[in-house]
This record gives sequence, structure tokens and C-alpha cells, in this order.
Amino acid sequence: MDASEQANLTEALDRMWVQFLPQMRERVATLETAAAAFTAGRLSLEQHVAANAAAHKLAGILGTFNLTRGTVLARELEIMYSRDDGPDPALAERLTEIAAELHSIVENRK
Amino acid sequence: MAHRILIIDDEDDIREVAALSLETVAGWEVQMANSGAQGLARAIEHQPDAILLDVMMPGMDGPTTFRELRKNPATARIPVLLLTAKVQATDQRAFADLGVEAVLFKPFDPLTLSTQIANVLGWN
Repeated sequence: MDASEQANLTEALDRMWVQFLPQMRERVATLETAAAAFTAGRLSLEQHVAANAAAHKLAGILGTFNLTRGTVLARELEIMYSRDDGPDPALAERLTEIAAELHSIVENRK
Repeated sequence: MAHRILIIDDEDDIREVAALSLETVAGWEVQMANSGAQGLARAIEHQPDAILLDVMMPGMDGPTTFRELRKNPATARIPVLLLTAKVQATDQRAFADLGVEAVLFKPFDPLTLSTQIANVLGWN
């Protein structure tokens, strides 16, 4: 693939990022809502399951858009939410931190 | 003649980016399906040269879809590559034991996905 074709692919990927940005934002919002609920001690089963799915999906896609740090963070969250009884209570602050950093990563992709 | 690939994944962002990658980088013909059931029907109808199959899907998941593909004489010989965001070793061993051609991991690099597939299938 020559430089021109590679540039065309990069441009097409950038257009797809814009196309799919609303669902990236929705997944991040799911994680922010779950982190807030967990910190308040009222994470529902539905929120727990939704957060696990959102983290899994973000882990699988962000790196494809060159957001490797996003994949690493989302994977960390997926591991935390994959426990049947919910995340370790000691990690509440970390859940919030990661959700906030993912928000920043998604909003600031150039 | 261009290779024909069927992508089965419930996530539209993954489907669309993978299709863009395979069409643009390799020039392959891509068909898409958003569920295991739709994937089975498309595989029977289009007889692709290979199938890229997501693992975690609602309803019929990837492993179940793979077993259904193998049961049907019309699709039993089509090579299948699993695509998964699961990175734990126990998951990887279970997927490999299914008998698929390969297990590829998300996130994939759009520039090299077709090379990964071609290497597995001997299409170089």
C-alpha cells in the first residue's frame, strides 16, 4: 500500500470515527454513570451488566482508531466489572478516574 | 479474482471498519452480517472464501455460530477466523480448541488485518 492509499484509508477511518462517535460517547456515559452509582453504593445489576459490556466494546474498538491507551483503560474496567459480585469497593475511585480519562480520550481524538 | 470475506459481528463500528480495511487495503469483496443467524444465511447464500466471526454476540454467539456452520454441508468447509476482544489465556485456549483456522484479536490494526488473514489462509 503506497503513501497515498494509506492517507486515503486514514481519512476514511477519520470519517468513520465521526460516524461512530455518538456510540463511543454513549458507552463512556454508561461507564461514568456506573462509576457514580458504584461510588454512591447503588450500582444496580442492570448498570453493572451494561458497564461490563460498554468496557468490553470500547476495549475492542478504541485501539483500532489508534487510541491504544483507551483500550488499555477499558480493558482494566472490563476486568473490574467482570466480577459477578461487582467491582472491589476499594476500587471505586479508580472506576471514576478511568471513566473520566476515557471521556477525555474519546473527546480529544484528532 | 478478489477473495470474498463474510464478516459476522453485532457491533456496527467493528463491522464497518473491518470491511473498510479489507476492501481498501486488500481489495477483497466483503459481505456483512450483524448476527449469527444472519451470518449463517449469508454464508449459505454467498459461499464466501472465509468468514471473520465475532465471539461475543447476543443470541447465537460466535462458537455456536461456528458449530452451526460446520454442521451444514453448504458451509462446513469455509475457513473461519474468530475475532475477539477476550485476551485471557483460558478464553484463547477454549477458542482454539473449537477448530477454527485462527483467533484474531480486537483491537485490530486496519492496515494489517488483511495480511493477518492472508497469512493464516495461505493467500499470499
